[in-house]
Amino acid sequence: MTAIPDDERCYDVVIVGAGFAGGILAKELVSEGHSVLILEAGEDHGKTWETYRSYLDQYYLSLAKTPNSPYPNLPTLPSPSVLDITAVRGTEPDTNGYFVQRGPLPFGSNYLMAYGGTSLHWLGTSLRMMPADFEMQSRFGLGVDWPFKYDDLKKDYERAEWEIGVSADAVEQTPKALGIKTSGPKDSNDYFAKDYDYPMHSIPSSYVDEFFARADGMAIEVGEDASDTVHLKVSRTPQGRNSTPRSPKNGQGIPVGDEVRKQFQPRGATGPFAYMGQRCEGNSSCIPICPIQAKYNAMKTLEDANHIGKSLMETITQAIASKVELDENGRVSGITYKKYPFPGVPQYELRRARGKHYVLAGGAVENVTLALASGICKSSDELGRNLMDHPYMMTWGAAPEPVGPFRGPGSTSSYANFRDGGFRDKTAAFRLEIGNWGWNFAAGSPNSDVARLVEQENLYGSALRDKLYHDVQRQVRLGTLVEQLPRSTNRITIDPAYRTPMGEYRPVISYDLDDYSRAGLAAAYEACVRIFQRLGIKNHTAYSPSDAGYFTYEGKGYTFFGAGHLVGTHRIGTHKSNSVTNDQMRSWDHDNLWLVGAGSMPTIATSNPTLTLSAMVYRAARAITAAVREGGAK
Amino acid sequence: MTTHDDTIAYDAFLTVSAALTGYNAAELQATGCAAEYWHHVQQVLPEDILKKFLSPAPRLGKKDDDKIIRESYLPDRCLGPVARSLIQLWYTGQWVPLPQEWRENYGASRFDVVKIISTRAYKEGLVWDAIGAHPQGAKQQGFGAWSLEPPKQRGQADDRNS
Repeated sequence: MTAIPDDERCYDVVIVGAGFAGGILAKELVSEGHSVLILEAGEDHGKTWETYRSYLDQYYLSLAKTPNSPYPNLPTLPSPSVLDITAVRGTEPDTNGYFVQRGPLPFGSNYLMAYGGTSLHWLGTSLRMMPADFEMQSRFGLGVDWPFKYDDLKKDYERAEWEIGVSADAVEQTPKALGIKTSGPKDSNDYFAKDYDYPMHSIPSSYVDEFFARADGMAIEVGEDASDTVHLKVSRTPQGRNSTPRSPKNGQGIPVGDEVRKQFQPRGATGPFAYMGQRCEGNSSCIPICPIQAKYNAMKTLEDANHIGKSLMETITQAIASKVELDENGRVSGITYKKYPFPGVPQYELRRARGKHYVLAGGAVENVTLALASGICKSSDELGRNLMDHPYMMTWGAAPEPVGPFRGPGSTSSYANFRDGGFRDKTAAFRLEIGNWGWNFAAGSPNSDVARLVEQENLYGSALRDKLYHDVQRQVRLGTLVEQLPRSTNRITIDPAYRTPMGEYRPVISYDLDDYSRAGLAAAYEACVRIFQRLGIKNHTAYSPSDAGYFTYEGKGYTFFGAGHLVGTHRIGTHKSNSVTNDQMRSWDHDNLWLVGAGSMPTIATSNPTLTLSAMVYRAARAITAAVREGGAK
Repeated sequence: MTTHDDTIAYDAFLTVSAALTGYNAAELQATGCAAEYWHHVQQVLPEDILKKFLSPAPRLGKKDDDKIIRESYLPDRCLGPVARSLIQLWYTGQWVPLPQEWRENYGASRFDVVKIISTRAYKEGLVWDAIGAHPQGAKQQGFGAWSLEPPKQRGQADDRNS
């Protein structure tokens, strides 16, 4: 056996994964003067404008416009696809796609292995968590508490909001303003620091949002306690897409983290045509691709890191991290990776990257498969467990009048009322997202409407045209995002029987919904039905036992999908017995190894995890900087 | 085929397409997709069937369109499926393959497969105009346009303006 050649340069920090977490971490570390190497398994989509354009063309030509459809799906580096999801039946796992699904329910989420990661196809939702979300065990006796509280993450939320470029108005986003009856009496106080505000003004509400706002004030009972009754309110969602930068109220600027920032400068597209794309222009295709990159993607931050870091910053794409190697003291001595010259061809050169510190930033699933394959982070037995997502359930109907769907970002508002409350001891909290694209996700509209009207209703000509207007203009859709609790049985493992053509382990996933989440979904469906009744929306929702994500609760059937929010598999904690890393995301078992990303989150709550994982990266970055300096002094 | 014949057949194709879609020939030409759709249909349909499909063209565009479409096209075992695929092609830019039974009776073509004809075809699908929106990922309407009242249905807008 020949020896694996070491890369010549030894970096301060080696990062696996060029996505949300890897990008921010790299930018922070090179800003502190540290040298950084990023290993990215996928291809580089952002190097040139032409490359990015070609992905847009691929989107136009895709029959099923799924989140990963614009991007290459290499047989040698498969990404999970929503098209692969089928019901898991019997004792044999479902091996249709990249994931090996053990069930009992299919795990329906996906992500993207590419330079920029899943940020290329995310929606842009940038919610902070609620104070209660950090204290689920103390407040409700459920799940676990985080090793720190909301207040401890507040400054990092600010930093993340300014890095991503979040459009929202702080005054609209406190729990109180959102109409949430928080479980703690003081949760809404100081939710935002004094004088803080988001870098850009809120994205305008859609016409659909305004239609739903007619139900504002309606009382909805949730849980058994009358005091838990909430009064509906449509509220705008903080989004990582460009709107209009905010002028600081006074000449001093806006306090962000520990510094005062001048007016935010929105960033357009990456690459040589960087001047293209400023404000969101309403392309209505955020998932899967923003043609003008008005929506944030990690390539912007990676570009900053390259610019700031210059020779300190190095990225190797088409490099699949294969094994984390340890020395005799349990410290990481190198990461071997497979550098493949031709995408899709299972030929590679095995190399070894070396650094003082190593960070896994490949997402909640890939971090785990790499760590399991390397036999590391074992002592807590929590690695790979506590996999969480937002089980995503859709409710759709026909409004009594045209509401102007298929225009603008996928969602601009939600009913946030159910994100916290006393009911949460028995029923999962949830958020009702208002969709702006009709029944696109729910039923494949508008193409499915054309097929139905032509093939079944036998329409043609102007009658067809008019009926399309009539039907599609009335399409409304609510999406329920419900929280899951950490469960040790919802987990990722590996099995030598299941590997990719490159010889890497495929994730083997066991997944289920507990009664807590099912109760939340049932309560959400009930709320949606009441909203439909109030607004005169004809309910067209159909859940079928033949759906892959069909489940029942108290005798009624529902269907859920994945939300793409993969959380919890290498959680932070207070002790090496209950968690994979400490609260700075440093591995308990291996002194110079760090695991970052949404896998670090002990609970998922009701917020889309990107903003929280990004904020947590700042926390890790400070600790890594300190550790690198400490190591240098020795 | 001579160029002259081709032109007549192409005009007939536009005339039939206009009657089937509810968009006039000028609107169909303006999509920039008419030539490639015509090319596609020629690739899929045997020549005699194409001829039969276009033969009612001289009678269309007058006052009997509904009668002609309802009698000669939609219930016809041969022309009906072709008409339905052609309507969907214009509306979505995507060719819907003819039914298996049709292929057995009238001939299979290797071009008769599900496909979005081109990036332009996707963007020019009539459905986007029909529903009062824009193709997702193209022809964006500008910042904040999603807040505005949706456009009125075509006929209704005309009434209001007249």
